[in-house]
Amino acid sequence: MSVTALHQVSPAPQGARLSIDKIGKVFTGPSGGSVKAIDGVTLNVEPGEFLAIVGPSGCGKSTLLQVIAGLMSPSSGAVRLGAQDVTGEPAHMVYLFQQYGKSLLPWMSVAENVMFSFRHRIVMTRSAARARCDEYLAMVGLLDFADHYPWQLSGGMQQRVAIARALAAEPKVLLMDEPFSSVDALTRLDLHALILDLWTAKRFTAVLVTHDVDEAIFLADRVAVLTHRPASISEVIDTNLPRPRLSIETRESPNFLALRHRLLAHLLARPGGAAHDAR
Amino acid sequence: MTQLVADNETQGLSGPKRSVSIGVRVRNSRASGVLLVVLILCAWELSARTGFVQSTNWPPFSTVMATLVVDVTDGELLPLILSTLWRLARGYGIGFAIGIPLGFAIALLRPVRLVVRPTIELLRPIPIPAIIPPLIFLLGLGDSLKLSSIAFATLFPVVLNTIAGVMAVEPIYDQVAKTFGVSRWTALRRVVFPAALPFVLAGLRTALGLAVVVTVVAEMIVGQDGVGYYLVSMQFAMRAADMYAAIVLLTLIAYLLNRAFILAEGRIIRWTRLREASGDAS
Ligand SMILES: Nc1ncnc2c1ncn2[C@@H]1O[C@H](COP(=O)(O)OP(=O)(O)OP(=O)(O)O)[C@@H](O)[C@H]1O
Ligand SMILES: [Mg+2]
Repeated sequence: MSVTALHQVSPAPQGARLSIDKIGKVFTGPSGGSVKAIDGVTLNVEPGEFLAIVGPSGCGKSTLLQVIAGLMSPSSGAVRLGAQDVTGEPAHMVYLFQQYGKSLLPWMSVAENVMFSFRHRIVMTRSAARARCDEYLAMVGLLDFADHYPWQLSGGMQQRVAIARALAAEPKVLLMDEPFSSVDALTRLDLHALILDLWTAKRFTAVLVTHDVDEAIFLADRVAVLTHRPASISEVIDTNLPRPRLSIETRESPNFLALRHRLLAHLLARPGGAAHDAR
Repeated sequence: MTQLVADNETQGLSGPKRSVSIGVRVRNSRASGVLLVVLILCAWELSARTGFVQSTNWPPFSTVMATLVVDVTDGELLPLILSTLWRLARGYGIGFAIGIPLGFAIALLRPVRLVVRPTIELLRPIPIPAIIPPLIFLLGLGDSLKLSSIAFATLFPVVLNTIAGVMAVEPIYDQVAKTFGVSRWTALRRVVFPAALPFVLAGLRTALGLAVVVTVVAEMIVGQDGVGYYLVSMQFAMRAADMYAAIVLLTLIAYLLNRAFILAEGRIIRWTRLREASGDAS
């Protein structure tokens, strides 16, 4: 965990440590049966750290992240931001949804969507709100589309709006649920670079859930690997890759490839995995 | 493989072409629809003029229209039209002022839902005009009787559609409101309400048609004024042309109200129409 301190760029990391303490989640079905989705996950995320969580499909990643976000209550354990318990609607944490297209409100323009994230919590004049909105839209390169509706934009642009909206709330912690999984490969690389730029500029704590090992290594300081359902932590790996990370060079560096090898082997080598066929 | 490509190409070509031909057909069918109306009116005119139907109660269409123009311009009908519209506006207004909040309360608050829902289901199948006679006992023959009936008729489609609209709000919108720490009231105002609005408006449109019907029926049953009352009086007085003129007038009023509503609706929820046009399904 001391690693995170080594490659800090611009401003000092803001906020407090995020502690996820022995989280468990059991869903009870309507017919009385129950599904154990998460089994005792413990993680600490330092202020300003970029943590990635990878795990196989359906293992409980979204559930875990929603519990962290306070959108869902855990069956056991607790989440704390600094000294505060996270329950209900936590300030300072924002969730970036997996279905970005659906998470934008279609009756609001792009600018109204972005302003929705802070206008109702902070007393400010109309023009100040608009200025803040424009600042974030400019960061994601969509200032010219402020008065469009979200459904008039491409998938990649919609995701950039969702990112601008999440960051305009100026959260201490940004929780991302596979935010890049449904855009094309090139757009995804673009968005990776964008999110790193924004993270460098704003120094929020980032928690990214993904099933894409490359994405996790490229973006994160540490990668936590989850087991099959019920999810528990099977390993946490420090990436130790230098920053700033470069879209092409970083992905071709020996360290990157070694990490990739290690993580993939880890994810595949378990009952039901395909590691044995691959040999 | 080549077959596939060829198929794709023909599909790509026939796609827009097909939609064009559908467009033409729609326009044609609308034209033929208008044509049928004209034909029926001609048949009406001719049947009366040629003596095919011989009755003093069957004036030709042209006479009815002339009567309508005279009745309106000489000031006989105008106050009646206004009183009917004013009555409709008040009854409808009361109905939706109660219906929309009630619909939201039922959809959002479990206790309210448990208490009110069965009553609504029970009252819903009653044919609205059937409540008028018992209401006469309770409210007498005054305007409050008519207003209650109109409001009652308005209430059901509004409440039921509002409930359906709120229930259909994407759960993710709730989470969006939550993650940005928006208050319950703000979420209701800025997220749930606009998301449910297309349903609410559809309910209001249905209700408007019903409210017009009930207004006229109420005026016919217990009238002192209004176009419905005029219609029955003309029938009693054997003034057939004036009676038909009133019917034409009511048809016109109902048609224009519906048109105006659709126009307003299209403006209020412009985004749904535009989004459909842009081909975004999500
Ligand atoms: N609301 C719910 N009620 C009951 N069971 C649920 C609910 N949400 C999720 N589950 C169950 O919990 C498990 C984990 O779901 P979750 O969505 O967290 O997985 P995930 O890792 O995010 O999957 P994916 O990679 O497909 O996004 C699934 O087996 C699912 O059936
Ligand atoms: Mg998920």
